[in-house]
Amino acid sequence: MNKKRTILLGASLLLIVSMLFAAGAGETAKPSAQVSDQFDWKQFSGSTVVFNYPNHVHYNAMVESGVLDEFAAKTGIKVESDRMQYMNMHDAQILQMSKPKGDYDLITMVVMWKAEYAMSNLIRPLQPYFDQPRLKAPNYNFDDLVPAYVEVTGIAGGKNIYKDGPGAQLFGLPFGAETSFLVYRKDLFDKYGIKVPTTYAEIESAAKFFAENVPGVYGLTMRAGSGHHATHGWLLHASPFGATVFDENWEPAFTSKEALETIEFMKTMIKYGPPGMEGFTQDEEFAAFLQGDAAMYLDASVFAGPVKDPARSKVYDKIGFAPHPKAKTSLSETGGFGLGIPSNAQNPEAAFLLMQYLTLPEVERKIVLAGGAPFRMSTLNDASLYQKYPEFEVLAEQLKYANADWRPIIPEWGEINNLLGIAINQGLTGVKTPAKAMQDVVDPIRKIMIRAGYIK
Amino acid sequence: MRKNSIPGRRTNAYFFLAPAAIILLVVMLVPIFNSMRLSFFEWSLRSMAQKPKFIGLRNYVELFESENFLSSVRVTIIFSLSVVSIELLLGTVFALLLEGDFPGMRIFRTLYVLPIMVAPVVVGIMWRFMYHPTYGKINFFLSKLGIAPVGWLSDPNMALTSVIIADVWQWFPFVFLLVLAGLQGVPKDIMEASRVDGANYMQSLIHIKLPYIASVLALTAILRMIDSFRSLVVIYNMTGGGPGVSTEVLSLHMYKTAFTSQRLGLASAVSVLLLMIILFFAMFLIVRSIRKEGK
Repeated sequence: MNKKRTILLGASLLLIVSMLFAAGAGETAKPSAQVSDQFDWKQFSGSTVVFNYPNHVHYNAMVESGVLDEFAAKTGIKVESDRMQYMNMHDAQILQMSKPKGDYDLITMVVMWKAEYAMSNLIRPLQPYFDQPRLKAPNYNFDDLVPAYVEVTGIAGGKNIYKDGPGAQLFGLPFGAETSFLVYRKDLFDKYGIKVPTTYAEIESAAKFFAENVPGVYGLTMRAGSGHHATHGWLLHASPFGATVFDENWEPAFTSKEALETIEFMKTMIKYGPPGMEGFTQDEEFAAFLQGDAAMYLDASVFAGPVKDPARSKVYDKIGFAPHPKAKTSLSETGGFGLGIPSNAQNPEAAFLLMQYLTLPEVERKIVLAGGAPFRMSTLNDASLYQKYPEFEVLAEQLKYANADWRPIIPEWGEINNLLGIAINQGLTGVKTPAKAMQDVVDPIRKIMIRAGYIK
Repeated sequence: MRKNSIPGRRTNAYFFLAPAAIILLVVMLVPIFNSMRLSFFEWSLRSMAQKPKFIGLRNYVELFESENFLSSVRVTIIFSLSVVSIELLLGTVFALLLEGDFPGMRIFRTLYVLPIMVAPVVVGIMWRFMYHPTYGKINFFLSKLGIAPVGWLSDPNMALTSVIIADVWQWFPFVFLLVLAGLQGVPKDIMEASRVDGANYMQSLIHIKLPYIASVLALTAILRMIDSFRSLVVIYNMTGGGPGVSTEVLSLHMYKTAFTSQRLGLASAVSVLLLMIILFFAMFLIVRSIRKEGK
């Protein structure tokens, strides 16, 4: 009887302890860093993984570094690449993922598509794969992945659908993710004794100085073309200015004082910027700095690759990096790409191996050395790399302020992004006043939110 | 005897016409009908696996309440009427200038038609580069004349004109080619007779040449108008519809509705309205040209 009671007591204790642990898991359970010594990389030898990825600095570095071939040799899994322009990937992925059996086993998602795919059950949760010792790669070290990148590229289903919190699951891993930073012409700032901006007020005064005093050099280069580019440009500055697209109740908040101040700042930058900047796409924003026409660049950190490349940049040896300057806050962008496995993938487990392999610490290092974007804290904090990659030190500091809630990446974002981008551009080009332009899209955007069930 | 009877011949005629009719039905009418049907549904590109939801006329109501849609109708009409009239005028003038048989004229004629052969995506990118505010050739030449850089594609008051110039560059040679062919058909004896009667160049142009090529001009106008209403690639590559929506033509609005907003039902409603606008203008031109021919 005593023995029975002891067993019962032990079982009850075990149950209580396990329930306590379960209750503590209010947020996404992170894959543990457990190491398996007998991991079988060859378990899916002979299978094929079709990998859809963009023509993008980071993915080009992945190809050039040879890691895909190394993966094939290590696992016996053949990798079939489907590489395309990144804005065309969405249509191709949707078409593939709507079929009973899709052709893609591994896809690259722009962060804007993550919630849309996850909420439509088009991609698989990754935790069940990480939970299987036979599938979890040794020395993976999940906790080393940049937390803000993991949240923005991989987690969905929590607070506001696209954020972490109760109910959230891991759907993707960061690969080509980015934040924002300032790149400036060190030679010009040194020559004219201008302080490297740490605030938005200092950006304005530096932009004014260069535009008015240095022939052929303008202030800040920025994207502002109608649609996506204008929205992206606005969001970059809206976050530090304290403006948001929606309030806590999903009501439009882009007519706030802070939102309009952001547009006024952009108008000032256009005044001191390269001619025609109000129509700039990202390529033109890049080109203005690469050609030496602009003294400052404040946007995605992926620019570090092209600006240091002597083949593309006239100023590759004249630059400095600095954190995103502060207005009310220093909150910077989170964006870029993540990897996901479609629900209708034909070889999901082999795809999971490839996904892990590409994000292993030693593989990340190879891709970074080939010009890719770092996504592990161990790389960003490695002081031995700072001589060759001075931007890593800045990024490691900036990531403390990376805003995972930088834009509301709900499934309806594409439609909202376009409407907002048109309105912002109309405010910038004088078609309407900024206040009227933003007010005019309140109703259309509210209708989208009502249709999607966010508000009544 | 039965073989030559009328019912037999009619059967044969139907038999031979059937393949063409079936192909026409499948290739043209089925997609148009499907598009019209889809315009009464809400169907997202995000949830293609789910069945479309019937919403009646709500897509059409939404379009007529949308400032951006109404703006794109206005932009499309201005764009189409401008390019068709300018191209007809330029094409006819150049055809009249180059209709004679001078030495080297054939080379000139070939050079003139080269723009038609360039892919629209190349035309869009090429003009975008030429209009570039800093590196563009056009602003470069203007700067040599002491003129400040012009925001060809970024200034809301200039962008539509810039897009019209690019379209005219590519397509006026098409009008030139057709009008030149029409001018070859003007009977030489009538021209000779008018000359003998003392008619000057303008008189023979107005009273002989233009009436002879009127039907060619009408046909060219209809073809160019239909094509200009569907213009997408060049404008997409040059401006993406901006600044604001100042160059967003209907076909671009439809593309964005389908692939950016991912609303296939609403995009179908745009396509139906675009078809109706094209039909209205095409019928207007066709009826006018038939009436003229009747006279």
